[in-house]
Amino acid sequence: MIDHKQGISRRQFLKATAAGVAVGLAGDPSWLCAVEQVDLAVISGEPAAATRKALETIGGISRFVKKGQRVVIKPNMSFAKTPDFAASTHPQVVVAVARACLEAGAGEVLVLDHTLQRAELCLERTGIRDACRNVPGVHVLAMQDRKFFQEIRVPQGKVLERVEVLKDILDSVLISVPVAKSHSATGVSLGLKGLMGLIWDRESFHFRFNINQGIADLATVIKPQLTILDATRAMVSGGPGGPGDVKKPNLIVAGIDPVAVDSYGVGIVPWYGRNFNGRQVEHLSIAHQRGLGKIDVEKLKIVKGTA
Amino acid sequence: MKKTVQALSLLLFSALFILATYRLPDWLPADIYLRIDPLLGINAVLASREIIARVLWSLLLVGATLAVGRFFCAYVCPLGAAIDGLDFLFFRKIKRPGLKSDSRLRRWKYFLLIVIVVAALTGVSLVYFLDPIAFLTRFYTFVLHPLAIVVLNLLLDLIRPISRGLGWVGLAHLHYPQPVYYMTAVTLAIFGTVIALGHLAPRFWCRTLCPLGALLSLLSPLGVFKRRVSEACNRCMACRKGCPMGAIDEDPLKTRSPECIQCRACARICPEKAISFPAAFSGIGEYSRLDITRRGFVASLAGGLSFGFVALQTPFTLLEGKRQLIRPPGTLPETEFLRTCIRCGECMKSCVTNTLQPCFWESGMAGLWTPKLEPRMAACEPNCNVCGKVCPTQAIRSLSLDEKTHARIGTAVIRKENCLVWAQNKMCLICDEICPYNAIVFRPIDGYRRPVVIASRCNGCGYCEQRCPVKGESAIVVVTDGEIRLKEGSYIAEAKKLNLEFKPDPGDDKFVIEESGFKVDPERQEEKRPPADKPALQKPKGFL
Repeated sequence: MIDHKQGISRRQFLKATAAGVAVGLAGDPSWLCAVEQVDLAVISGEPAAATRKALETIGGISRFVKKGQRVVIKPNMSFAKTPDFAASTHPQVVVAVARACLEAGAGEVLVLDHTLQRAELCLERTGIRDACRNVPGVHVLAMQDRKFFQEIRVPQGKVLERVEVLKDILDSVLISVPVAKSHSATGVSLGLKGLMGLIWDRESFHFRFNINQGIADLATVIKPQLTILDATRAMVSGGPGGPGDVKKPNLIVAGIDPVAVDSYGVGIVPWYGRNFNGRQVEHLSIAHQRGLGKIDVEKLKIVKGTA
Repeated sequence: MKKTVQALSLLLFSALFILATYRLPDWLPADIYLRIDPLLGINAVLASREIIARVLWSLLLVGATLAVGRFFCAYVCPLGAAIDGLDFLFFRKIKRPGLKSDSRLRRWKYFLLIVIVVAALTGVSLVYFLDPIAFLTRFYTFVLHPLAIVVLNLLLDLIRPISRGLGWVGLAHLHYPQPVYYMTAVTLAIFGTVIALGHLAPRFWCRTLCPLGALLSLLSPLGVFKRRVSEACNRCMACRKGCPMGAIDEDPLKTRSPECIQCRACARICPEKAISFPAAFSGIGEYSRLDITRRGFVASLAGGLSFGFVALQTPFTLLEGKRQLIRPPGTLPETEFLRTCIRCGECMKSCVTNTLQPCFWESGMAGLWTPKLEPRMAACEPNCNVCGKVCPTQAIRSLSLDEKTHARIGTAVIRKENCLVWAQNKMCLICDEICPYNAIVFRPIDGYRRPVVIASRCNGCGYCEQRCPVKGESAIVVVTDGEIRLKEGSYIAEAKKLNLEFKPDPGDDKFVIEESGFKVDPERQEEKRPPADKPALQKPKGFL
């Protein structure tokens, strides 16, 4: 049973926040004229360079990160596998985003994931901690204890009423940096599926209710300001943990609309040996139907480039 | 001087213990204290009837004891240091009346030594129970380490508001995974007893029970340093009262030299400065009569033999025959393993996932504290091979990561009556998702895609059993069937012979639609179920 009083106050809170953000953005019109209409930046090239170019194309990270703000970057680092498995985000992509945030004046950058395997091993094997070691102000952390999570309500939830999310994302700018990989339960694991790394109880998504509905519910409360899909490598089968077939599209896809980024990501490579589009992915389709983002790639304004 | 050396030794012991993690570099022998212990070495060699390379390290201590005497107990032994330290804490102000039957009690350590060695000759490892180094390592593993993590996490929680306020991000998010073990209470009780015995006399353990002390005392007569008392002695008996080992005779000029650990407490206490420990080389050494009676000797012989007999009798061997225990990868064949393992707990401490747990009675009296996997709790991590690296007697062989991958510890078996997919037609594929070797595939059976284990790809790591969402007992369990346990030789070669293929590498997996998932909507599936012999090509799961 949903408690309506609280539900309304949350909605008010969300509205007020949205209004605040809108006012804040409107007060800074420098980006408005230039890049407002770009939905996606699709850049091919080496991980670091392509990431930088993608950020530039989408209008610069300073659109999203203001001076002194705290930024949470959410990569995939749940599995203790090296980057060539494509089970985790490329370390160079994470570092490039983190550096950009710091250059934009971010107070601190937290690279966070709730890992499936032992935290230490994940941080070490994925290479993300090593890559960030020499960047002051960046902290790579794997959360494996409930005390770092806080329960929030999901007012628009169909199957989720409340969910425990990482406390750190509640008062930070959230940038999602997923790797492109297949997933045995959800078809693909891109930006939206990656948000499951920010919650405490990942298991119940798999057997308590329809995971695709659950991901869409989660997307109503966790809204990354920016999604940067690392498709420099894509594990097109055997995901999410691998080992699987790894293709190398050498692409970085950046956008504000998480559904649009994912939908584009679906079309990059054939999954399990077959071509799909965004509408054929159940959780993306649900998210689109619930107004969380655009799904038709043809209708998006896409800027392509090479780094 | 003595206290400093002792403290340093205990510190080194603790540091090596802490360093025994999956990241242990190959060149660092974290188990060095256990390796130099000749009692552990002799017994492992006698029981297993094999020469164990790492045991040769104990010749260092044998040689040093022959040359210098029984110095180990006073200066090096970390348990001795712990006992002295705790003695100072607890019993400093207690008046100990002195043991009336001291000379009879102190024979016990020789009896125990005989029991242990005889049991080893019958093929039963008993040394672990009383060997001080194994004993302390076990206490560290099962009690001190978990306790330290509890305290550390509490402290971190306490200062968390401060670290958050000050912007110490790393500290604010720091949390150590809590290790847990089955035998913590038992281990603590035994350690507590040993410390409490200090109430009767200082170093009660060392003087009356420690079999390593007994062995070293037998080696000590040739040692260079011997207690000498000069003419200045006025028989005030201060030295006799102050000797922590009770090594001074009623006649203070005489020393019970096997008991003397050269701590030189007597020399410091003596008001007349009459006692010294000059270096004196004597060809044949100084022997004082070991007063173990013939009766005692025969009784301990009988004790060792009967221990050997009892420990190897049914029902324990029957249990062993059922082979329910998943042993760590690289473990020697069961019989050799039980003979060689010294139950120090080093493997369980260093295990990165905490899946290694001590046995209680699962493999009988002969298997107490031996390591087993508890896959429901955690899996064996593919990137870790530390358990063999730190094993001082190589009861778990030290293997390269590649070899270890092929040291198959068992095979996963699906318990269909519990499985959500097999029994309830639910959608679940966590076992497939987590398997690091792609050993679980989904096949169309009765119109549903159901999980099947490809046994030739499964090395028994246990990730599936750990992650299975069924409450209570897992619907997929690792059984010992198919385990590979080699005394010597390559596991890779053996696995090849058996046509096994464990592939944790990327890029070589040609998994296509047939094996990647099953139908999304079970209701729709129900309506037009494809004929079982000719399943329709289905889309991978998650796609519409």
